[in-house]
Amino acid sequence: MKHLKALNQKARLLDQAVAEDQVEEVIAMSAVAGCTATVDPGWEVDAFGGVAGLCQPMEADLYGCADPCWWPAQVPDTMMTYPDWSKDAPSAKENWRNLDNVFPKDAL
Amino acid sequence: MKPRTATLLCAALLAAAPVHAEHASPAELANNTAAPLVAGREYMVLANHPNNLSVIDLADNTVLKTCALPDAYGPGLLQISPDHRQAWLLNNRFGSIYGVELDSCNVIFSANMSLAADERTKSVLSLAISPDGKEIYTVQNPSRIYVDRYEVQQPRLAVYDTASGLDAKPVRTFPMPRQLSVMQTGADGTLYVAGPDVYKVDVKTGKYEVAMPILNWNRPGYGAPDVLNAWPVQTITREFAFLYTAPKFKDDKQDIASADFVWGIMSIDLRTGAVSVADFAPLTEVYFTGIRSPKNPNHLFTVLNVLRKYDIKEQKLLASADVGHAYYQASVNHDGSRVYLSGTLHDIAVFDAETLEKITTIPLPGGDQATNTAQVFIR
Repeated sequence: MKHLKALNQKARLLDQAVAEDQVEEVIAMSAVAGCTATVDPGWEVDAFGGVAGLCQPMEADLYGCADPCWWPAQVPDTMMTYPDWSKDAPSAKENWRNLDNVFPKDAL
Repeated sequence: MKPRTATLLCAALLAAAPVHAEHASPAELANNTAAPLVAGREYMVLANHPNNLSVIDLADNTVLKTCALPDAYGPGLLQISPDHRQAWLLNNRFGSIYGVELDSCNVIFSANMSLAADERTKSVLSLAISPDGKEIYTVQNPSRIYVDRYEVQQPRLAVYDTASGLDAKPVRTFPMPRQLSVMQTGADGTLYVAGPDVYKVDVKTGKYEVAMPILNWNRPGYGAPDVLNAWPVQTITREFAFLYTAPKFKDDKQDIASADFVWGIMSIDLRTGAVSVADFAPLTEVYFTGIRSPKNPNHLFTVLNVLRKYDIKEQKLLASADVGHAYYQASVNHDGSRVYLSGTLHDIAVFDAETLEKITTIPLPGGDQATNTAQVFIR
């Protein structure tokens, strides 16, 4: 971690966990756990650092990521935060024009 | 959740004759709720956006009927009851469980997993049914919602009586570890739950122990495996199976830079509890699921962007097929003659299991399947 500087609260908590030797409580991706900060490759790059292993086309994977809150930073999550994001687009491949950007709200 | 919608769905029933996909519009298919399933015929059942459940007749690869589901979609994970008359679903954005009679489309069971007004509970792909069909199991992940913060609660195994009807509450709950997801039941009633390892759970006492290590497998010559299993398929071969990738070291130095990365399959025999682990290929591409052939369990079909067929013992690639777009899940029929690809978009691709030649595509009424789980059974 010596080359990384914590900039936000979550990163500072991670630093704190390392300092307190609690890393074992943070188990790397071995099971599905929705809305967690997964760091495995798969949305922008595949496991080999390329793109051939990504789901093709990307629309095939869009609701597979939105529904289970898989990459909540990259894809709006319909499990928790944006439940109606895909309501006008039952088919991502055919109705993608109805999918809009989302913007975090200040209040819960 | 409101008291549920059996009345509404009953009102929507139309006593139409079976309508097959190539002859019917999606609207006709969606209304064809009353078509009964026929004893001895083989079916696939799955759910998809916006919130449908479809029954596919595998004799002619057509959609027999489509039921409208209550509340909201996601993930559309379903299990078939042992008598093959009901589908049990985790749905409503991972927050509710439903039981649906396949003959009528009637909703006979519903349970909102949030048990208090200040609690929000989700189940991450966790649903199984007992061998006698009397109980439903799920691991629930509750959060307590305060005015200024959320507080994560201890996960719990919730046991429901399948005869509880609408707005059901669990009959037993037990504390469970974190990070649990897919599950299956053994022939003796043991509940197997996947997480960092696979646990075997006594559903009467809540006691659990490791049945099959994954992250902690300590396999000589190998590093820790990585596993993705979001599809609890009720396999014809009666196994709870996981594809894994793992580094295979050259020597005792365990140098990760020079290690070979391999694909393998680990599984629990749900009839006996026996565990097996076998590599089958080098890691050169990504698969999401793999399923053994019931005709020859040494043959394995894997899929994501391409469909492959492997000989496990020989670690040999037998056949390949382009699939057009990514599919998450591979299934097989009971005689092992066909492979069905599902998940992601709104179609099912059908392949000859021997040659992997494409047979047909089955369009689904409605939209994307996303991370649903399809099940194959004979009524």
